[in-house]
Amino acid sequence: MMLRRDKKDEEEGASSNPFQGLEKSTVIQEARSFNETPIKPRKCCHTLTKIMYVLNQGEQFGRTEATGTFFAMTKLFQSSDVTLRRMVYLLIKEMADIADDVIIVTSSLTRDMTGKEDLYRAAAIRALCKITDSTMLQAIERFMKQAIVDKVPSVSSAALASSLHIMKQNPEVVRRWVNEVQEAASSDNIMVQYHALGLLHYVRKNDPMAVSKMVSKYTKGGLKSPYATCLLIRISAKLLEKEEYRDASPLVDFIESCLRHKSEMVIYEAAHAIVNMKDTSARELAPAVSVLQLFLSSPKPTLRFAATKTLNKVAMTHPAAVTACNLDLENLITDVNRSIATLAITTLLKTGSESSIDR
Amino acid sequence: MIEASLYTIKAICILDNDGERLISKFYDDTFPTVKEQKEFEKNLFNKTHKANAEIIMLDGLTCVYRSNVDLFFYVIGSSQENELILVSVLNCLYEVTSQILRKNVEKRALFDHLDSVYLAIDEIVDGGIILEADPSSILQRVALRGDDMSEPNFKDTVIWHS
Repeated sequence: MMLRRDKKDEEEGASSNPFQGLEKSTVIQEARSFNETPIKPRKCCHTLTKIMYVLNQGEQFGRTEATGTFFAMTKLFQSSDVTLRRMVYLLIKEMADIADDVIIVTSSLTRDMTGKEDLYRAAAIRALCKITDSTMLQAIERFMKQAIVDKVPSVSSAALASSLHIMKQNPEVVRRWVNEVQEAASSDNIMVQYHALGLLHYVRKNDPMAVSKMVSKYTKGGLKSPYATCLLIRISAKLLEKEEYRDASPLVDFIESCLRHKSEMVIYEAAHAIVNMKDTSARELAPAVSVLQLFLSSPKPTLRFAATKTLNKVAMTHPAAVTACNLDLENLITDVNRSIATLAITTLLKTGSESSIDR
Repeated sequence: MIEASLYTIKAICILDNDGERLISKFYDDTFPTVKEQKEFEKNLFNKTHKANAEIIMLDGLTCVYRSNVDLFFYVIGSSQENELILVSVLNCLYEVTSQILRKNVEKRALFDHLDSVYLAIDEIVDGGIILEADPSSILQRVALRGDDMSEPNFKDTVIWHS
């Protein structure tokens, strides 16, 4: 009977959003069925999706409601359905700040984090770090160090990203993991390398000597990841702001060499860094402006936008350096993307001459 | 000059063709309340739904976007952020969603696979950090049920809650 009614509703297409008008109280009620045995993974998963939807729409859960739902959810650890378990992790993170006594799931998560199933491990680490406070951090420290150097990239990345979140409250604990982080930085995986470098930099942020040593190590090569390379360009540019004799700096060489990188992301990051350096000389600007000029005729709107925006900035201080791009910029005046067109026009106003008026 | 940090993504949104929120994750307190977030989403939608231009500056933020049928995908970062990094995240989000929905990138199909899309977004960005931007890695990590890929499961899930 029920089945038929539902099908009919659906065929009539009463609402294109089956979650529309979903009440918070209804889903809280529904979460009580998590206590039933045996667990029906599909049904429970659908309920979790609804809770997620209601939370995501911005509904406020009261402490008691949230805590009740959270505790019901912990029953679902008895099922080994992969999607269900992953939805439980997700909801643990979503509700970590609105429910009480969330540390109740610590042992379940620690078990999953150290278990055999890789798909559980990475997600369990992230959920665990979200609910862990400083007093419990010591208890999981050993597992975190292992996870950081794990061979499985998703596990290592999850541990590194979580460590960075933990740094905000407990910097002194994470500082003790720096050897493991350093090992992860030489990973072959591009994301692991990126996360490790980001964490290393954050740990050493207040020690300019250490940052400088780290930068000189990685600028000599060894970074495979375009994301990590972009980050290294940013760190280098920051260091350069403090240097007095920039001309002889190997950091400038490094950033300039990135203009010939195979990834557009890195090329742009390098050009952007050069343009934004303090007191950039015309000689330093020239190669950066040429790669930006190439981007102006790219079929990708974002690339055209990024290049025009950056050239616009150059035109404020060094209009002469941009005049070579005037023809390309004129073509962008009619660009379908209005932001690009506007940026092109304002740039031309700074660099244009009488000769361009005729065209 | 922008701080060298792993915190790159300010928000990810999927809106429908009325500009209503389907999925939104805000990763910092640029918009501290739900009201402000939804106002921003509406604004963003109004500025982008007609112009298929891929990138826009709004409220001092860089927003990159793509749309299909009745779905609008947005990735938002600081105005200082490398736009190409934001686009790499957007492309990953779109590609993964498209695979999960078996190329049926539309609202109806999204609701059939909402759990998988939640999980996918959680694998792409962790608290503002880009965790992974390779679509095939994400799909592996989301670990779709075997039958998720073959037939929609909405009809049998809906029976249970009625």
